[in-house]
Amino acid sequence: MRDNLLDVENLSMRFGGLLAIDDLSFSAKKDNITSIIGPNGAGKTTVFNCLTGFYKATSGSMFLNKDNKKLDLKKFSDFKVAQKAGVARTFQNIRLFPQMSVLENMMVAQHNKLMIASGFSILGLLNAPSFLKKEKEAVEISKYWLDIINLTNRADDNAGDLPYGDQRKLEIVRAMCINPHLLCLDEPAAGLNAKESAELNKLLLFIKNEKKTGILLIEHDMSVVMGISDHVVVLNYGKKIFEGTAKETKNSPEVIEAYLGTED
Amino acid sequence: MNKNFFQSSIKDSLFTGLIALALFGPIVGLRTVAVNEALVVQPKWLVVGLIVLACTIGRFLINIYTFKKEQRRGEPSSISKIITNFLDTKGAQIALGAVIFSVIFPFMPFADRYWMDIAIMMMTYIMLGWGLNIVIGLAGLLDLGYVAFYAVGAYSYALFAIHFGWSFWICLPLAGLFAGLFGILLGFPVLRLRGDYLAIVTLAFGEMIRILLLNWYDLTKGPDGLTGIPRPSFFGLPFKRYPDEGVETFHTFFGLEYSPMQRIIFLYYLILILALITNFFTIKIRKLPVGRAWEALREDEIACKSLGVNPRNTKLTAFAVGAMFGGFAGSFFATRQAFISPESFTFIESAIIVAIVVLGGMGSQTGVVLSTIFLIGLIEVFRDFESYRMIAFGGAMVLIMVFRPKGILATRKPTITMRKEK
Amino acid sequence: MEYFLQQLINGLTLGSVYGLIAIGYTMVYGIIGMINFAHGDIFMVGAFVALISFILFALTSIALPIVLLLTLLIAMVFTACYGWTVEKLAYKPLRKSFRLAPLISALGMSIVLQNYVQAAQGARIKTLQPVIQGGFNFFEDSNFTVTLSYLQIFIVIVTIVLMAIFTLFITRTALGRAQRACEQDRTMTALMGINVDRTISMTFIIGSSLASVAGMMFVMYYGVIDFYIGFLAGIKAFTAAVLGGIGSIPGAMLGGLLIGLIETFWSGYISIEYKDIAAFSTLVIVLIFFPTGFLGKPDIEKV
Repeated sequence: MRDNLLDVENLSMRFGGLLAIDDLSFSAKKDNITSIIGPNGAGKTTVFNCLTGFYKATSGSMFLNKDNKKLDLKKFSDFKVAQKAGVARTFQNIRLFPQMSVLENMMVAQHNKLMIASGFSILGLLNAPSFLKKEKEAVEISKYWLDIINLTNRADDNAGDLPYGDQRKLEIVRAMCINPHLLCLDEPAAGLNAKESAELNKLLLFIKNEKKTGILLIEHDMSVVMGISDHVVVLNYGKKIFEGTAKETKNSPEVIEAYLGTED
Repeated sequence: MNKNFFQSSIKDSLFTGLIALALFGPIVGLRTVAVNEALVVQPKWLVVGLIVLACTIGRFLINIYTFKKEQRRGEPSSISKIITNFLDTKGAQIALGAVIFSVIFPFMPFADRYWMDIAIMMMTYIMLGWGLNIVIGLAGLLDLGYVAFYAVGAYSYALFAIHFGWSFWICLPLAGLFAGLFGILLGFPVLRLRGDYLAIVTLAFGEMIRILLLNWYDLTKGPDGLTGIPRPSFFGLPFKRYPDEGVETFHTFFGLEYSPMQRIIFLYYLILILALITNFFTIKIRKLPVGRAWEALREDEIACKSLGVNPRNTKLTAFAVGAMFGGFAGSFFATRQAFISPESFTFIESAIIVAIVVLGGMGSQTGVVLSTIFLIGLIEVFRDFESYRMIAFGGAMVLIMVFRPKGILATRKPTITMRKEK
Repeated sequence: MEYFLQQLINGLTLGSVYGLIAIGYTMVYGIIGMINFAHGDIFMVGAFVALISFILFALTSIALPIVLLLTLLIAMVFTACYGWTVEKLAYKPLRKSFRLAPLISALGMSIVLQNYVQAAQGARIKTLQPVIQGGFNFFEDSNFTVTLSYLQIFIVIVTIVLMAIFTLFITRTALGRAQRACEQDRTMTALMGINVDRTISMTFIIGSSLASVAGMMFVMYYGVIDFYIGFLAGIKAFTAAVLGGIGSIPGAMLGGLLIGLIETFWSGYISIEYKDIAAFSTLVIVLIFFPTGFLGKPDIEKV
């Protein structure tokens, strides 16, 4: 399966007596938006936490196809998943750096390359031209993304002062600044109004089509899921109960049962 | 003023008085004194009575004041806001003025030995504050054992200078590096701990180092301390009235009359330069990727991890850089005193430096200067009242946290702006 | 063997004292999630109140058991006032402040208490004549006599009784239930109509009372105190709380006993100069490798 971006095989995660993910396998294709849906407590966020190294999966494997190399994500601990494997993520309850400016948020996301450019601070302390050039480039990249979400004019304001919807979008473009292979979004539409979630759809499609970045999406907002997903994975009690296109999912009796319960 | 309110505030004040009586009655009112090797109790009811009265009336006045304040709500009268605004707009000029003032300070007519000593002491605390500001203010790591690095710097300077006879300018960077190395060694295991645990562990490390200095007699001479630490010289010219045969001194070289103040002034400039280096270094590094990562870690460590920032290495650099400046300050302390003992490196020193940083406003360089002048000034003014001044100091820490938890200068300037790029 | 037994007895006695202080740390941590840095100094205040009470009773001819009981009560009541006031002045206004603010405020409070006692009572050490004397001697015919003093028995028994009362209180009364509810979720508890402020105050009062009993035992056991004893005892008791699992009350007692034993055996077999290093290194090692302690709940980072 050469064109798969992500292969999750037999993944399980146990917390004490609770089996939060139970033998889960699924794949995500390149340049696709793959949605993971399911009722609350189905284990969606836990899947993300395993993928991005915040939890150590109990068993199973996760492989990322990067430049035709198969990377075993289990081998990377938290920050290395982002640094080395290029898996970026956002959080259910937005995690910006609230007391830092919007631009600074974007710059922190480009930390690793800037760190090398600054010669681990030594060239930076000496104001080396090579570093200043790289820093300028990083600002340009930030500006590029901020232009897309219309936040350039607020670049110097504290991220915590932005309205909620803008914070959501900022968190997404900030994650894009690490130049990821796979972008994992944890309920990006939560708390957005209809107009904002339409804008979100546009942004995600732009990332998919123009940036050729695979997206893994956890979402409850069906207008987002059904509108942009190429592939949907449905979880319930840690198990995969269905997998298919958005349309197939909508009509699947198993999925309806999981959400609405059985008729007895 | 309505009657109900009056009654309840009197009741409340009387209750306060009762609590005050319970608090101060036994501890203040019954002072234990040793007479012929046996303890007897000396009653001091008058003092207790006065304190209780003061508490009762004070509480009553507070009640009435807050009542009045509630009546005319909405009048912004925050002095701190005015100061903050003033410093924001005139910040550069004030900083320049302060630097110029510090440079010409030794030649002021009033700058006698006493003032110079205070100035040197304050400058040392400012430098320590700036050093710790990197750790607490920028990286958000509450380090309660900072004095350990100060001690390591002082002792390694002293040992290098005494045993190898190396000059100040060799020992100083060595001591700084040594302290920095120590920071890495101590930081490596502890930096993944949560904030409050980290605070306690650093405190424990600080105390362990002091106990080690106290008991490792062969190396440190224990409680006797190290004596005869060489005084610094002005590029090889010693500050001595009667130099050894054939050695040129500072005053003979420049054809001056000998005065002990020359050495003091030299020391003053030395610490001024060291402190300014610390300051410029911090201002600069804050704008580098590593500095931004420090602040980002302080804001949200999990978000940092998700962006591929290595939290441990980043914290470790903050810890090591802070420790290094602590070490430099320690070297200066050793050469200035010519004598060091573990007594100078107790936990209370760490607490003072932490208070300076926190009161100043975490991360604010100007704040550190202001709070040093305030706190060290406070301690200095009450010099003759040993324990009262520490009560005032501890009380100040509580009051700052209660009324202005972000410190004197709470505003933060972004490290990079878009507007400039246009 | 005899030496070992003696160290064991001494260690358990010392451990009881640490355990009683540790309960205060663990309860406060459980309910408001802060390290009450001034708790060690509350213990010190308790020791001073007990000392003063003993001196005053020495002038009267009241029987010893009554003196002990009265001193216990006096120390508990007066020290509880300190705990209550410290919470009201230094911590309550900071409930919504940033996370390290209460810790810094507690640090300030600790400095205030130490220097206040120093100013009021003088900086010199205070010596108390032994209140309870005598004990049982074992192995008198061997070359090392093991002593179990009445005082040690008294300390251990009082600790056990207080622990029993306290456990009943936490598990059986409405206030204890309110307290456990606050530990779980303060906002929700408030919505259930429970006075959270009062529950927190109560926690401080109970913690301080237990610390004052520890202070009373300390002054009886060592016979010497000064205004600085709270610092070290506080850190050791905090170590005990972490070792047992912070937030867990039986854990605090268990941790206290362990720290008492570690310290005594270290001074008995390794080095007395470095005895405080033993406590500090235990703290560091426990926090780094074993932060949940023996009976603590695992602390899963919520992402």
